[in-house]
Order: sequence, then C-alpha cells, then structure tokens
Amino acid sequence: MKFFYTIAAMMLGFAIFAADDAALQPVADAQPILQDLQRKMSSLGSVYFELTQERHLKLFTDPLKSEGVMLIERPDRIRWETTAPYQSILLGDKKSVAQFEFADGKWEKLKLGFPQMLQRVMDQMSLMNQGRLDALTSDYTISVATNQTVAVLTLVPKDKNVRGTLSSLEVRMQPDFSATREVVMHEPNDDFTRIIFNREKREVKFPPETFDQAKPAAIEAIRATMSNAP
Amino acid sequence: MRPNLFIVLFALLAAGCAAPKSIEPPPVAHPARLFPTEAFVTQRAVLTVHGRQFTLNGYVAKSETRGLRLIVTENFGGVLADVLVKPDGKIIVLKAGPPFRPAWVERYIAADLESIFDDHAKTDGSLRMLSDTHFVIERGGYELDLRTVDVKPGPQPAEMFETAGGGRP
Repeated sequence: MKFFYTIAAMMLGFAIFAADDAALQPVADAQPILQDLQRKMSSLGSVYFELTQERHLKLFTDPLKSEGVMLIERPDRIRWETTAPYQSILLGDKKSVAQFEFADGKWEKLKLGFPQMLQRVMDQMSLMNQGRLDALTSDYTISVATNQTVAVLTLVPKDKNVRGTLSSLEVRMQPDFSATREVVMHEPNDDFTRIIFNREKREVKFPPETFDQAKPAAIEAIRATMSNAP
Repeated sequence: MRPNLFIVLFALLAAGCAAPKSIEPPPVAHPARLFPTEAFVTQRAVLTVHGRQFTLNGYVAKSETRGLRLIVTENFGGVLADVLVKPDGKIIVLKAGPPFRPAWVERYIAADLESIFDDHAKTDGSLRMLSDTHFVIERGGYELDLRTVDVKPGPQPAEMFETAGGGRP
C-alpha cells in the first residue's frame, strides 16, 4: 500500500509517454533536474490517468494484469480505482481514507483495517503535492539517467527494512519531465510491478462527488467528463 | 458442504410454485467441480477480522496430479502469502508476510484453499457456496468473502507445484 501512495504522490506533477532505454546516460548532478521537477509538480492542480497494472512474478509465465484509473486533485485528494478484473475504489485525502467494493450490482463501503497507516502515507503525499521533494529525498536516494527519448528517475529506499520489500522504484518520463509513461517497482527477488499509464488528462475538472468518501461518483460519469475535457 | 436448510426449503417452495415445472441441473456436489481439473483461477476476497475488512487477491494454480498453489496479494500486488498443497495433503508454506503468520497460513489459508479447490477435502461446515462464483468461509475468528473473477483452463507449469526454485524469499 505504501508503494501506491509513493507513486500517487509522484504522479501529480507528471504525465506519461513511451520510454526507450537505449544508451541511458546517468546525470552527474541530479539536483537541477529535481528542482525542475519540483517546480512542475507544484503547478499542477489535477490529473486523470487510465492505467494498466502488470504484476510480474517469476513463478508465473504471464503477468497478472488489472485495469484502472488514478485521479489526483490538489491539495490532497486521490482516487485509485480498479475496473477489471474486479471493481474497487480507494479514496484518500489528508483526513481519511475509504474503500469500496462492487459486488452483486452495488457498491459496498468497507470497514477498513489499519486506516491510520494509510493516513500517514497520505500526509506524505500531501507534502509531495505541495512540491516538497525534500520529503522524498529524506526517504530515498534519487538518481537520474536520460537519453534522447526518456528520462528515468530511480529511487532507492534508504531504509534497509524498506529495501527488503522494495529494491528500487523507477519513474520513466519524457526527457523534459513534462510527462511520465510508467512506474516500475522492483523487488529484491526480481519480481516487479509495472504501472503503465495509457491515457492522461491534466488540469481537469472532476464531477463533484469524484472524491466523496460516502458515495463516490461512478466511473462512467467521470469518464464522460474526461471525454469532453480539452 | 453443509446442507443449508433454508436453500432446501426455498427450492421446494419454488418448485411447488413454479409452472410449468422444469428440471433444474443438480447442484454441484463440491465447489472444486466448478473448476477445470487443470486451471489458473483469479479470485477477489474481502477478509473480515474483528469487524475490520481487508481486500485480497488470490491466484490459484490447480492441477489434479500436482496439487494446489495459492498466492495471496494485497491490492497493489505485494505478496502476503504463498502456499503449496500437495496431492497427498502435505502443506508447504513458501511465504507468509504481515499480517499473516506462517502458522495461520498453514492452518487457515491452506484449509480455505482446500475447501474450495480440493473435492477430497474434509468438509467442516465453514464454507457456504452462494453461487458458482461466490463463496463465503466463516470460521471462529474471521469471514472470507470470495468471488471468482477469472478462470483460465489448462495445465500450469510444473514448477508451480514444486518447492525447489518455486519458493519466495
């Protein structure tokens, strides 16, 4: 779950494009790039992503795939929704988190376990949304590598315990950092999760109940709004 | 599966009221027979413990001759449990991560797996089959609401049913 919020926090400033690893060159001084990134993050108010999540386990021949959307609205509202092969909505803001599951034709709000843990991470996300990359650098060693078509931001957890489950996290972006294509989370045993962002809209106005933790707007209504967005 | 009196009564009433009468297919004797003998099954679950709910994904490789392999993940793919049940009933816990303890995986998760996917498993009355894709398992300390969301028929790689090389750190 912690991975999710880290990713969510990072995505507010980015939108995503195709990547190519050919001749990636490490950037000696990543600081100017991170500052540029921070500037972009602090200026974006909302973003809508359609995504595919691939879970690659060595054991399985094919990745485990799911489809969904991620919506973020400043200052601290986030919605992560899985649309296939099952339907589930996770909502969060600085104050609380909520989860809904769709079954038998209706949504059910869950009595969520461990909400305080999610809440803590949401607070971190809020800091990120304010452009506080310093919050991220305290937890991760960040390096940057680029070529003509892609910039790869690699984050390695400083905490040994965290590295026990997450070796590194890659965010793959356009070279000018205006857009991101995918996020890859590597694990110590070579398993990894890839989140591919297929479609993205920035500075959108979401329907009023999009982040409502009592009765969130239906994804169909949100998609209709996105279809009409410029 | 434990006979459910309500369902039996309802079925009798429905049969009595319905006209014309039709012959319904007999109920499945065991949920394992809902699945191909060789298959990869994806399930979504809501686990309720002490009134608190957690969502889980379950991925089950099923082989008539090799056994059952279950991997349980949290919402975003983190593996919480990995267990292999051999055809002779031997349970091998390959991974148990928080909040699951190895003993818990062996005692409960493996038992839940067998209750649905192994038609030779002993029934203890904890499983209710609400439909062909919806199961509820209730034990003393928890309720597991399980829904099958995908079934891919066909033999699974042999490595999935082996401990050597198939274990997870």
